[in-house]
Amino acid sequence: MASRKEVTPAAIGVLAGYAELPLAPGREAVIIGTLEAWIKDANELSRKMSAEKYRDLIPATVFSHPIDPEEDR
Amino acid sequence: MGKAAGELLELSLAQAARLVKTREISPVDLVGVSLDRIRAVNGRLSAYISVFEDEARKVAKAAETMIMAGHDLGPLHGIPIALKDNLAVKGFRTTAGSKVLENWIPDHDATVTERLRRAGSIFLGKLNMHEFAWGGTSDNPHYGAVRNPWDTERFPAGSSGGSGVAVAARTCYGAIGTDTGGSIRLPSAINGVVGIRPTYGRVSNHGIIPLAWSMDTAGPMTRTVEDCAIMFNAIAGHDPKDVTTSRAITTDYTEPLQRGVKGLRIGVVPGYFFHHLQPPVRDAVKGGLKTLEGLGAEVVDVNIENIHGNISAQLTIEAAEPSTYHQRWLREQPDNYGADVRSLLEIGEMLLATHYLQAQRYRTLLRQEFLEAFKRVDVFICPTLPFTATKVGAMKVVIENGVEEDMLSAIMQFTGVPSLTGLPSLNVPCGFDHDGLPVGMQIIGPPFDEALLFRIGAAFQSATDFHTRAPTL
Repeated sequence: MASRKEVTPAAIGVLAGYAELPLAPGREAVIIGTLEAWIKDANELSRKMSAEKYRDLIPATVFSHPIDPEEDR
Repeated sequence: MGKAAGELLELSLAQAARLVKTREISPVDLVGVSLDRIRAVNGRLSAYISVFEDEARKVAKAAETMIMAGHDLGPLHGIPIALKDNLAVKGFRTTAGSKVLENWIPDHDATVTERLRRAGSIFLGKLNMHEFAWGGTSDNPHYGAVRNPWDTERFPAGSSGGSGVAVAARTCYGAIGTDTGGSIRLPSAINGVVGIRPTYGRVSNHGIIPLAWSMDTAGPMTRTVEDCAIMFNAIAGHDPKDVTTSRAITTDYTEPLQRGVKGLRIGVVPGYFFHHLQPPVRDAVKGGLKTLEGLGAEVVDVNIENIHGNISAQLTIEAAEPSTYHQRWLREQPDNYGADVRSLLEIGEMLLATHYLQAQRYRTLLRQEFLEAFKRVDVFICPTLPFTATKVGAMKVVIENGVEEDMLSAIMQFTGVPSLTGLPSLNVPCGFDHDGLPVGMQIIGPPFDEALLFRIGAAFQSATDFHTRAPTL
């Protein structure tokens, strides 16, 4: 796996651009520390959840169906 | 009035209800002393954003008239309570602790509001909170930093900080909070009160400003477990206005309070539940377990293999979902957000969809593991959070070895597990540290078995007096 790239102010600017989020001047410096820490941890969790043994797990956010479908009509 | 104001304020909700029912005290008296108390202490605590003085007195008079005419609505009839300011109350300003909604007056009640109103409660006002519930300090830049009544230089935790403080400071007989990542349990622990995060789907979120749809819940915060069960009776149950609510049957949650804990098995997760804690927190929660063992419960080690990683999953989901809800406002009025919430909302736009969905898959994994563990134990007990109240304004916290840690990650060390798994969880006061600051323990149960949590909490309070102590203001 390629080594992790550091989050930079320029990268934050690109991400904000993709989201069409206009960042006020200086905002990159305010959020960079927390964003970098959270992305690092989120990537670690993603690696864990990509393991073969978890392949059948589905996300918690899916529609569930009532035992009796008539109930929700 | 037969009782002095101080005596009335020290009554539990259940005690006050019994005296109202027998006409020994009037709702007018209860509202009067509560409003006086709010006036006396709110300047130092900033617990209330709005106080409904005229409305509360008017409703109290009507409640008194009904009681005198023999119409009793039940144990909440004539009882003054307060609501976190993210619950809609028809005709009254609901800000969610924000400048964005500073002038919003809902044209409807939240379902929780409506059910409490129908049960006869009297609303004293709306409680301060972390802005939009996105944070754990209740250091609100628009309505003042909420302060801890045990030491007003300390924080009250959050996001339902005003709710915890209002109850602890004896300004009301119960309050409603909301809990996404710990926002009922954390201020309950830090302020020395009882609070329950219900099973996800047990209590309606209709009419509550959302934080993270897939984890949001609402629940009562009170001085005693019995009081909490009484309020829970009024609000639990399916709501056709909220598609996330369950049709699972409700029960009378006060019924099992006297059953004790003999024969119950309490799980603890070695290497996680008592790892990385301030020593007084560890001692108080271990003392709590000893008390329950003395009452006949058995403590059992249970390994939860995948418990590590829960904080990242929680932060990822809590980042992405609020940023979705706030997407338009963040672009139209970014300067109307406080500094910390603005940053968190911006960060939430920069995590990847795959991060979010892997976090949601992790929830499935963790929930499966806990559901399997409930075949071997009845509940789990752990600290509610690893430290006692820090100074107001602190963004870092020291837990051990002098190392400073980020407040938001540290505060969710134990509350994230029920939030991610959807399991119910009850905070019960279980001690104090060397500075006299409260410590809470968290009882985590199987889905929809809030009655079991109340039963264990009530047994614990029958053997301890932590819940009877009051802060001096």
